[in-house]
Amino acid sequence: MRAHLRFCAAAVAAVALASGLAACSTSGTPGSSASSSTAGGPTLTVDLPSHPASLDPGLQYDTESYSVYRNIFDQLVHRDPTTEQVVPWLATSWKQDNSTTWTFNIRKGVKFSNGEPLTAADAAFSIERILTPSFASQQEANFSAIASATGTGDTLTIKTKYPSPTLLTYLTTLSVVPEAYVKKVGNAAFNLHPVGSGPYEYVSSIPGSQVVVKRNPDYWGAKPQIAQVVFRAVPDIATRIADLQSGEAQIADSITPDSVAQLKSANLQVLSAPTERVSYLAFNTIKGGPTNNTSVRKAISESINYSALINDLEKGYAQQVNSVATPLNFGYPKGLPDYSYNPTQAKQLIKAAGDAGQTVIMATSPTYDPTIVQAIQADIQAVGLNVKIQSTDQATYLEKVQSPSHDWGSIRFGQWSCSCLDADGVAYPLFHTGTIWSSYSNTAFDTLVDKARETLDSSTRLSLYAQAYGILAQDVPGIGLFQIDAIYGASQKLQFKPDAQQDFFVADMKLSS
Amino acid sequence: MTTTPWRRSGARAWLPITRYLGARIGQAVIALFGVTTAVFFALRLSGNPALLLAPQNATQQEINQISQQLGLNVPVWRQYLNYLGNLLHGNLGYSYVQHEPALTLLTQRLPYTINLTLAALAITIVFGVGAGMIMALTRGGWGERILMPVVLAGQAMPAFWTGILLILVFSVTFHWLPSSGDNTGTSLILPAITLASLSAATVARITRGAVLEQLSRDYVRTARSKGAGTWRLIWRHLLRNVSVPVLTVLALETANLLGGAVVTEEIFAWPGIGQLTIQSVNDRDFPVVQAIVIFAATIYIVINLVTDVVYGFIDPRIAVAPKEAG
Repeated sequence: MRAHLRFCAAAVAAVALASGLAACSTSGTPGSSASSSTAGGPTLTVDLPSHPASLDPGLQYDTESYSVYRNIFDQLVHRDPTTEQVVPWLATSWKQDNSTTWTFNIRKGVKFSNGEPLTAADAAFSIERILTPSFASQQEANFSAIASATGTGDTLTIKTKYPSPTLLTYLTTLSVVPEAYVKKVGNAAFNLHPVGSGPYEYVSSIPGSQVVVKRNPDYWGAKPQIAQVVFRAVPDIATRIADLQSGEAQIADSITPDSVAQLKSANLQVLSAPTERVSYLAFNTIKGGPTNNTSVRKAISESINYSALINDLEKGYAQQVNSVATPLNFGYPKGLPDYSYNPTQAKQLIKAAGDAGQTVIMATSPTYDPTIVQAIQADIQAVGLNVKIQSTDQATYLEKVQSPSHDWGSIRFGQWSCSCLDADGVAYPLFHTGTIWSSYSNTAFDTLVDKARETLDSSTRLSLYAQAYGILAQDVPGIGLFQIDAIYGASQKLQFKPDAQQDFFVADMKLSS
Repeated sequence: MTTTPWRRSGARAWLPITRYLGARIGQAVIALFGVTTAVFFALRLSGNPALLLAPQNATQQEINQISQQLGLNVPVWRQYLNYLGNLLHGNLGYSYVQHEPALTLLTQRLPYTINLTLAALAITIVFGVGAGMIMALTRGGWGERILMPVVLAGQAMPAFWTGILLILVFSVTFHWLPSSGDNTGTSLILPAITLASLSAATVARITRGAVLEQLSRDYVRTARSKGAGTWRLIWRHLLRNVSVPVLTVLALETANLLGGAVVTEEIFAWPGIGQLTIQSVNDRDFPVVQAIVIFAATIYIVINLVTDVVYGFIDPRIAVAPKEAG
């Protein structure tokens, strides 16, 4: 009887609590206008794997946030997807006054969607706020070369702390925000209701679920064909594909190579573009045991069946590379030969080094495809080393491999993308002596990379990187496994050409009904 | 859990109840404090979020700067004191990733989780109790033969599979219901069925067992011999006696579901607390994870506390006498 009473009481308590909470369920849900179509054009529904972390372009720059807010804002400069050259956008022209001072002319007649004009002062403000420590922008490191930015009239002046050849590259990621509006409403309110000058303007959002934008009628550029865009957060890949099949969405991001066959059999488009993301192995050459020896590292580079990784596991949605970089990075050593697969020679090298049967630890994290890691493990084991995979969650993996004590094992698997399309963002952080990622040290290499960092002349930089990558090819402190493609699934009605920067500019897309 | 001290004062009826109440509330506060402390330290063991937030080519100095902005550069005990101080002021912190107060993020997601929970509970009650009754009353007959495999399937199939199957059938093949999100009134149906399938199966089996147990009782035989029909038997006699174990399961399910239906919300892109949990854990968004854990713990503790208190009022003997184990 007593037990029964307790059960009843529990039930009463649970129901009371549930209904109490339900009372608040009617509030706080912003109206969804997803299904209503705006006059004068189609509505595009985009399935992203997660909700954008911020709509304020000064804060986050993860792929999802980027895909959404770059349609609401204009960037200072763009990169032409075919020529890879930096081309005018909000800045119509620019010149370099000296090695550390740049001036940009800002386009006249551009208005934010609240009617305020866009000026050089807004551009300067957009840079300065990212550099303000209290703003806690995750993009601060991308702009840390900038000493100051000032805007007067149509002229934006940027001073760098040292000659910075990658300044323009990083400015392709800079979205310009309205200074007056941001100061008026504050950063928090701006993040919730962003106002920009881009081809689309913010309409509404449901936290964790979707963001709706509509065509900006006063946009200075060409009028986009798509009238409204609904960016939805759909974390499960099977659901993203089902959404495409059922017509709920017209394009889905972050499709994996093993889902491609399913999309094709459902008469959907598979769109892809090589990105600057590279899968790589890096060696611990300081406290790596067997991998302290160059010939063991060389042997490992010859033990891997690159074409099997690319064709069988990545289903062809990857490209072979010759170094830890991609052809999209300025300074990629085009003269070097691709890695070759030569297990017989690799076996001999391991034997000669006296390391046959030795155990080496390979560090990785569940963020990376385990089938690739296991295939590499099998390839290396086949030439005589015993490989033990140590997979820890991403934060722990980073803590471990970045530790200054270099006690993280012998080999690590990872993916690299600096979002900068420049060899400096790869060679320097990964292999320069003393950086957090580097467990390698070579003075000649350091000197070349240091010099290339502060040289502005392109041809000099190319030859410096050719020499620097030549040293890496000899020393093998790391191996570039393959360049990764971005893969999208899309309805046959959508016209879209993805590019290397993963620019998701809806204004460049067309949707037929 | 034994509560001996107040046995002596059993003579005065009001005192034990007050004491009992005070002790229960005290226990709840201690439990909540334990949870807030445990989640704080468990998260600190799981790696530095600044490493995940920094761009890949950030320098050590830039990572340190991010740590400093997040307040992660001071010793852990200082962080803990700050955290407790903020909690006392009702401040659950500020999301590292989304740049909004953790409490705001939580309350934005709460309505979705509550809607899903209530819909799933409704399905659980109707189908679970209904199927359980039919199975018991048609034991060995057609009803049980048809329903038992369905119930077993409901219990055996994991949500991530049930969900995808339902999407493939009802969204992709027939286009009857939306496959994800919350854009129309019908969006709730598939996730609610997915979420309810396990609890409905559980409730069905418990109902069946309870009804079978009651059917062998003397009072049922007496009622039958007096000529009571099946429906009268069910309404007047069985339901009341069967409701006790069923309500218990439902109470536990409610607490469970309000904590967030992680898998179901993930599959159907349902923007509830479950999805927020996965996202924040992956990002090491400490303040948000802390807020979710504290919220879920509070629900459990409050349900338990209210249960204990109600129970004490219903039967004051319980407050006075020491509880038996189990």
